[in-house]
Amino acid sequence: MNKIEVLAPAGNLPSLRAAVDNGADAVYFGFRNATNARNFEGLNFSEKEALEGLRYAHKSGVKANVVLNTFPQVDQPDIWYKTVDIAAKIGADAIILANLALLKYCREKHPDLPIHLSVQASASNYEAINFYKKHFNITRVILPRVLTVEEIKQLGSKTDIEMEVFAFGGLCVMAEGRCYLSSYVTGVSPNIEGVCSPARAVRFENRGDKLQTRLGNVLIAEYGADEDAAYPTICKGRFEANNRVYHTMEEPSSLNVLEMLPEVIEAGVVSLKIEGRQRTKSYVGTVTNTFRKAVDAYYESPEKFRPKGKWIKTLNTTSEGATHTLGTYQEDWQ
Amino acid sequence: MKISIGPCLFDWGKQGISDFYKRMAFETEADILYIGEVVCSKRLHLSPQELIKLAEELKSSGKEIVLSMLGLVMTEEEQVEIRQMAQLAKEVGLHIEANDMASIGVGEGQPMVAGPHICSYNPETLDFLEEVGVDRVVLPVELSAKYISGIFRDVKSIESEVFAYGRLPLTFSARCYTARAFNLPKVNCQYKCGDYPDGMPMHTQENKQFLVINGIETMSELVYNLIGDLKTLQDMNIDILRLSPQSKNMADVVNIWKSAIKGKIGRKEALAKLLEINGNDPFCNGYFHERPGLEFI
Repeated sequence: MNKIEVLAPAGNLPSLRAAVDNGADAVYFGFRNATNARNFEGLNFSEKEALEGLRYAHKSGVKANVVLNTFPQVDQPDIWYKTVDIAAKIGADAIILANLALLKYCREKHPDLPIHLSVQASASNYEAINFYKKHFNITRVILPRVLTVEEIKQLGSKTDIEMEVFAFGGLCVMAEGRCYLSSYVTGVSPNIEGVCSPARAVRFENRGDKLQTRLGNVLIAEYGADEDAAYPTICKGRFEANNRVYHTMEEPSSLNVLEMLPEVIEAGVVSLKIEGRQRTKSYVGTVTNTFRKAVDAYYESPEKFRPKGKWIKTLNTTSEGATHTLGTYQEDWQ
Repeated sequence: MKISIGPCLFDWGKQGISDFYKRMAFETEADILYIGEVVCSKRLHLSPQELIKLAEELKSSGKEIVLSMLGLVMTEEEQVEIRQMAQLAKEVGLHIEANDMASIGVGEGQPMVAGPHICSYNPETLDFLEEVGVDRVVLPVELSAKYISGIFRDVKSIESEVFAYGRLPLTFSARCYTARAFNLPKVNCQYKCGDYPDGMPMHTQENKQFLVINGIETMSELVYNLIGDLKTLQDMNIDILRLSPQSKNMADVVNIWKSAIKGKIGRKEALAKLLEINGNDPFCNGYFHERPGLEFI
């Protein structure tokens, strides 16, 4: 039986090594520019580092996928197309794309390079997925975080494209690739510039015994002395609606599917994606290691599988807000 | 330069929607009407057959009618519905407006508008969309004048439409934030969005205007308004300006825009009139000027 894949993030070479050394089946990384959705200062790979990372992964039989999931900018599209060529040249195991024009280019120019459809393409149904398959022969879709596990299972019965889901980490609660909340406040589009809630627009301000977090000039949340302040992303903000103040969209917690691992596997998912290319190598190592253990434990005896308390505890130490959620995978979250 | 009335993004009920579009058809100088539910398939909206019937009725006004499709397609039922809509549209010769790639898929080969929720970020994407049947594109709302010009510069055979007025549709989620505001699950939402004809305000903890909740969609609370940029839009040769339905005095809004386009009133006068209709609430237009969307330049 083919085990479900543990797919780990790599923001740099040390993280990539940590992923490989801790049992990842595959890693994913992007280049140091706006061509991917984690275009943060000091993060990501040069071509030389990418090649080195790829060799390190392949030596251990680990696959390496290149992320190119933003939309080419109108006045400088060349860098996106060149990055497709680089991914093919260095021998990436797959390329993760979202833009129709890049998909077309990649399929024509590099027919043998497997294409994974990025979460940024927001393909949440088989009609869309099968359209991408027909035109670009994609082999895998990374599902947007909008479906329940039951819906994923139904979806799987209507397409033969591999399904990859987010298993752990920062939880984007919107249809990605089509969310303009961050640009509405900062003027910077995650979809073409690769960064949501850019650090340069973020402020933490002490006001007496309160701590305020701001994005641009907008107050995202105000915290009391006994509370941990989360990084200010709009969808995790605390606002006033219907006469009360609360996290109107989502609490600042992390996604963790461990409790539903059997259901996710039985729904036909082939890959568990760990979010967090912007996180440290210690995060990558810890989360990868824990998911490796959990997945192996499931296959040893599927019917007896229960997530161990110590796994959850270990994962919670890495989480934003130190709490976790099953997010959209269970219906009552919606 | 034409004026379109976008699909109503709020839950005004079957009767409310029908009455609104009849008013737009027979009492305004709008050129194109987009009808159909874009936000939530749970709403008790018009069925595909009822929409076609409404379209036929509206068509007698001489205006072009387009069927708008869902923005976020997730379930089997939703896919059944978009297939049905695309088929009916084809039979009666109407364009569909795709707002999810699912609709581009089911409508492939028939005339389509790529709506503002399709990621049309560059001319090469438009080239591909044209190959599958798209002959009009409404760009993502976050793009600037400079960017819009760049995208349409060498595109000759696709009509350009720009979102020019209304609360901005900023994002979709699987979660219903209106239901959440009432501590209800989405499956038992009790159709609370019907009580908020322009969305439920979501203010900051400093009580500043920010967003509105509209079911699974989140929008700007400020009304986006490009009336002050009309000359720029005309110089850019934009074919169509989209006015997105708001609950108050929409017919007046349309006629103010039309008068401004025809040069019967100046941009300043038009802005003052629109401001009055908007209850003197400020507008935003930052996106068009390469600024945060919420700013007004």
